[in-house]
Amino acid sequence: MPVPDPFREGIARGWKTHDSSRLEQDLTLEADVAIIGSGAGGATSAEILSAAGYRVLLIEEGPLKTSSDFKMLEAEAYSSLYQEGIGRMTKDGAITILQGRAVGGTTLINWTSSFRTPAPTLEYWAREHGVKGHSSEEMAPWFEQMEQRLGVAPWIMPPNANNEVIRTGCEKLGYHWKVIPRNVRGCWNLGYCGMGCPVNAKQSMMVTTIPATLEKGGELLYLARAERFIFDGDKISSLQCLAMDPRCVAPNGRTITVKARHYVLAGGGINSPALLMRSNAPDPHELLGKRTFLHVVNLSAGHFKEVVNPFYGAPQSIYSDHFQWLDGTTGRMSYKLEVPPLQPALATTLLGGFGKDNALQMEQLPHTHVMLALMRDGFHPESPGGSVHLRGDGTPVLDYQVSAYTWDGLRRAFHSMAEIQFAAGAEAVMPLHSDARYVKTLAEARQMIDGLSLELYRTRLGSAHVMGGCAMGEDPKRAVTDSLGRHHQLQNLSIHDGSLFPTSIGANPQLSIYGLSAQLATALAQRLRTA
Amino acid sequence: MTTSLPETATLSRRGLLKFSLGASVFLATAGVGASLSGCSSSHPASGYKALRDSDLPMLRALIAVLLAGSQSADKMQDAVAGTLQSLDYSLDHLSPEMLKLTRQLFDVLAMPVTRGPLTGIWGAWENASAEQIRHFLARWQNSSLDLLRMGHSSLVQLVMMAWYSRAESWAHCGYPGPPKI
Repeated sequence: MPVPDPFREGIARGWKTHDSSRLEQDLTLEADVAIIGSGAGGATSAEILSAAGYRVLLIEEGPLKTSSDFKMLEAEAYSSLYQEGIGRMTKDGAITILQGRAVGGTTLINWTSSFRTPAPTLEYWAREHGVKGHSSEEMAPWFEQMEQRLGVAPWIMPPNANNEVIRTGCEKLGYHWKVIPRNVRGCWNLGYCGMGCPVNAKQSMMVTTIPATLEKGGELLYLARAERFIFDGDKISSLQCLAMDPRCVAPNGRTITVKARHYVLAGGGINSPALLMRSNAPDPHELLGKRTFLHVVNLSAGHFKEVVNPFYGAPQSIYSDHFQWLDGTTGRMSYKLEVPPLQPALATTLLGGFGKDNALQMEQLPHTHVMLALMRDGFHPESPGGSVHLRGDGTPVLDYQVSAYTWDGLRRAFHSMAEIQFAAGAEAVMPLHSDARYVKTLAEARQMIDGLSLELYRTRLGSAHVMGGCAMGEDPKRAVTDSLGRHHQLQNLSIHDGSLFPTSIGANPQLSIYGLSAQLATALAQRLRTA
Repeated sequence: MTTSLPETATLSRRGLLKFSLGASVFLATAGVGASLSGCSSSHPASGYKALRDSDLPMLRALIAVLLAGSQSADKMQDAVAGTLQSLDYSLDHLSPEMLKLTRQLFDVLAMPVTRGPLTGIWGAWENASAEQIRHFLARWQNSSLDLLRMGHSSLVQLVMMAWYSRAESWAHCGYPGPPKI
């Protein structure tokens, strides 16, 4: 029996959607609230605002792809569902940035890990960044609301062998480990979350809040790049969008003018500050795009005698926070440990190299496990994050320098990962670095790791979590918005996305964005009523 | 482009920096020069959407070396052709800015005036030996120039990803492919 595609059925029933790539003339759209970005922040806000009776227009740069489009093929998925056709990277090309770009945003392609914002992170924001009303207690009801909405629960099936390594290794060593809560309902345990869920089990925005918005009469405009705001004094009078070609590569010459009473910016890290920068929005303290964080990731491979088949099964189901708060909130660079899924195209670039070396490693893919460490950036003066710049064509690029403080965290993470992998029974371990090779004992691994020249390009680095760049906080000198996401200088603009975070989260950020956006959108709905 | 130097190079920092800037300017000029003089058009080659005629000899030579060991020799020609198709597909979906950078990289490798000094391959790509190509890749990987290290990393990633996204590559890596729904 074919898997139903409720989104296409909804369109057939008359949901209002506009495919900008097919526009034959310029278009003007009006709404009570225009929301830019259809990911975790934008779509969560859209559902709440449309349920409150407002006419919502949801604007997405990327294409509309639904479950019947998802074929679990890497080339197709990466080219169509990721920012810049998966070409997004830091300015120096050293860190690949995996960020979604399609209706549903990154929620369409994330690996479903759902954590509440850690208490030490929220405490740090209140203490150091003037954030009010976001304590663990104040956020708890919003996280709970979104957990229920999106079916977030600890994964009930046994972890796949790739994740099992964390559990076995940490158990042996007496380290912390836990089952990851995932936003799925009726998950088939396939392992292709990063290519779009073909069975609508992942509770992405595509199957939850966007359909709810459209059912309430909200409209969806896609393949439309929000190019610039037009200002009238301290208010936004309209938003200019460029219609994109069907590949979402280049503008096709048509424009869409959007007029709304209120605008919610939810393009995520990098894109949200970039729209404000392109628009020459007021930025008296030059904060836009600064302090953009990545949870920079390094990785370690383990070879196991048993079959791991790291390309199948829920991609992330076990994590360890053993090292995350060991040195307090503000001490040495700390990290969370998880694993990535390893379909072949992603696997070959992570393992690195070419020719015989890479071929031999790829031959062993079914016996290969890979662990990753996410650096909790932004909690220390030597971890200031990156800054967003506009390129010649107005599109953004992130300049992110890896500090000595960060390299120290990356090196310790190589040690931690090797230790856990050997404890879990790995026959050999290899930190993913150009000069590293598989070694058979922990002692050899430690010696090799201490000797590695940790530098850009030689060390395989990636990021799947872009945060910050439009920080929230009560002090306009230090923040772009207040703690309710209201822009400090512009009357009718709110920001509801991960760009608000004053630091990184220290956990996969989707639930942090859902909870925060639910809180902010609910408050916005009340304000619009009384205004 | 930033120019970060290894800590041990502090003595010769100034000299290195000058050289780096010089080389960057050289690369940039070569790229611009190529576009102006029409050496490298942006017109795709026949049968491709993004790859140009000038890219193909270099990529064919390079891909055969990068894929060595993952395919038997008799299948290599098909593997190279398939990889080119996949690479073309991904380039055709890259953002214009990333495509521009990639094309500049390809131009630098394809044009004799930059190819010789920067890769050590003085003759045509068709005649380069696998050994020469491996030598060029090692030279870029270990270069003191960020630009070349970045170029090395992009080239290898683009090609390897293109190949392993293809079903013909999966038998080698024990991947049965996506499950049937």
